Amino acid sequence: MSQTITIDPVTRLEGHGKITIQLNDQGEVENANFHVTQVRGFERFAQGRPYYEMPSLMARICGICPVSHLIASAKACESIMSVKIPHTAAQLRRMLNLAQTVQSHALSFFYLSSPDLLLGMESDPTARHIFGVVAAKPELGRAGVALRRFGQHIIELLGNKRIHPGWVVPGGVTEPLASAKRDEILAMIPEAYANIKLALTAYKHIAESFQPEIEVFANFPSLYLGLINEDESVEFTDGALRLIDAKGEIVEDGITATRFNEVIGEAVEPYSYTKFAYYKPLGYPAGSYRVGPLARLNIAKTMGTPLADWELGQFKQLAIGPVQSSFHYHHARLIDILYGIEKIEEILSDPRILDTHVRATAGVNRLEGSGQAEAPRGTLNHHYKVDENGLITWANLVIATGQNNNAMNIGVLQAAKHYIKKGKFTEGILNRVEAVVRTFDPCLSCSTHALGQMPLVLTLLNADGEQVDQVVRN
Amino acid sequence: MTQSPIRCLILACGNTLREDDGVGPWLAAWAEERFRDNPAIRSIALQQWTPELSEDIAAAGSVLFIDCAIDAAPGSVRLTSVEPGDAPAALATHHLGPAQLLSLSQELYGSIPRASLLLTIGAASINLREGFSDIVSAALPEARTLLEQAVARLLTPTPKP
Repeated sequence: MSQTITIDPVTRLEGHGKITIQLNDQGEVENANFHVTQVRGFERFAQGRPYYEMPSLMARICGICPVSHLIASAKACESIMSVKIPHTAAQLRRMLNLAQTVQSHALSFFYLSSPDLLLGMESDPTARHIFGVVAAKPELGRAGVALRRFGQHIIELLGNKRIHPGWVVPGGVTEPLASAKRDEILAMIPEAYANIKLALTAYKHIAESFQPEIEVFANFPSLYLGLINEDESVEFTDGALRLIDAKGEIVEDGITATRFNEVIGEAVEPYSYTKFAYYKPLGYPAGSYRVGPLARLNIAKTMGTPLADWELGQFKQLAIGPVQSSFHYHHARLIDILYGIEKIEEILSDPRILDTHVRATAGVNRLEGSGQAEAPRGTLNHHYKVDENGLITWANLVIATGQNNNAMNIGVLQAAKHYIKKGKFTEGILNRVEAVVRTFDPCLSCSTHALGQMPLVLTLLNADGEQVDQVVRN
Repeated sequence: MTQSPIRCLILACGNTLREDDGVGPWLAAWAEERFRDNPAIRSIALQQWTPELSEDIAAAGSVLFIDCAIDAAPGSVRLTSVEPGDAPAALATHHLGPAQLLSLSQELYGSIPRASLLLTIGAASINLREGFSDIVSAALPEARTLLEQAVARLLTPTPKP
């Protein structure tokens, strides 16, 4: 008798999603899907708005990575304006994006995933949260809280708000950096280094005991997409995209924001509101790929900063060619944080960062524009069309979670097939299937985080829809 | 950049786009203006109280939490003491309550303010709208008065035994 298991909602994610697992008559997993159940409407309700409002509007898509939307949106607007922004403005935006990456990764690693890593996949689910982490490893809990504050405080200093700063505008930024703020950020750097070094050391030790999970957590060959500089160093804000295959060979290079929709398509599946991005020449689903920390590190030949470069060398030793298991997103995320701290220090050490020329001005010079950046979770592309008055007539956003969508589904199926046998499952197994999705750190929220509690109910139904078994987590 | 020690941290929570849920940030903005000449008082308004605030709380002499209450009589204004509490039974990753924040401050930094109060205003409606319901609007003078009294109380040194 066939059965369906539903995990709804999946916990410790940004937003709401659910997982269904279909079993066959022998109780073996036949299929599994990760569903995103929220509806986004930003592309539609942006229509009719002036293009210069877009960064502020689009930032509201997300409460955790609004800076990436701000930057991709501003760049799309600058494409419409045909302007090149001042060097200092570009560097200030780069720093803002890296600060966001640090705080977002700290949230993902320390708050959402470290309970599994420190306490165990089978541990008491009521203790799997930041309090549990603090009780088990207080120094790691402090490091996580401090790194998140580090990123948030830089955002607040630059943009005058922790969330949805309005500082990034088409043409640059609204105001230059004051020397007092620069000095305040530089003063925070030593503690940030100490915290990320502690986390990296702890993670490498912990990961040794998760080899079974590493083997089945979305561990499969795929394409990888990410921004890269001309010197093949990792990039978050400018540069161009590179797509590599499972052997590390370059499939497509120099993908600018304008070329993005020439090579990347979006498919639709009936079980999810999130689209499925794919590389057009290979079609869907063969052209599906992964983005985010794992992809960035697989693509980059160098980080471009000394400490992160050393860590990248260690990371690359995890596999011959690209690192395939999505479990290693955790490791890559920590290296991203280290890189972010180093790069912020480097940017602030350049006296030109205090230059007061931080904004270029222009009107509508093109009727279409695109912008791209690396959000913490991966590549983000904004594409707009305007009329001659600069009013938006069409908009399309390709977000990182959509680009990882097929990989998340493959990963959920892989883990479910491995762990669920003869229709039997435990809360620990349920948690492992969820944890596969958590490695990608998908951001399902369309605006801000969901408020309140997120109860989880996993129900096993027979073919007649009758309940056979149930696990409830309140 | 040197800052004065914070003797009273005002920590408000709420969403100004959700009608009465925005009363906390509104009162925090009012307090910021009211006490702007006193560097020992700092006001922070956020949509959610997150774990990172535990460091600010640990470093403050006292803390006044402000929030709307959906389980209280609409328009009712209450001031209560807060003590450190256990971790919530349900997962709390993005949002913590005052008791949990105090507990986290204690666990992470070994310190909590010598006094902590919670000011709540009963919400009549938290629909998608800016502005407040009539009953909460009418309660604002009482809330402001209680807020001032609470700050005065928190700034009063505790007599030594």
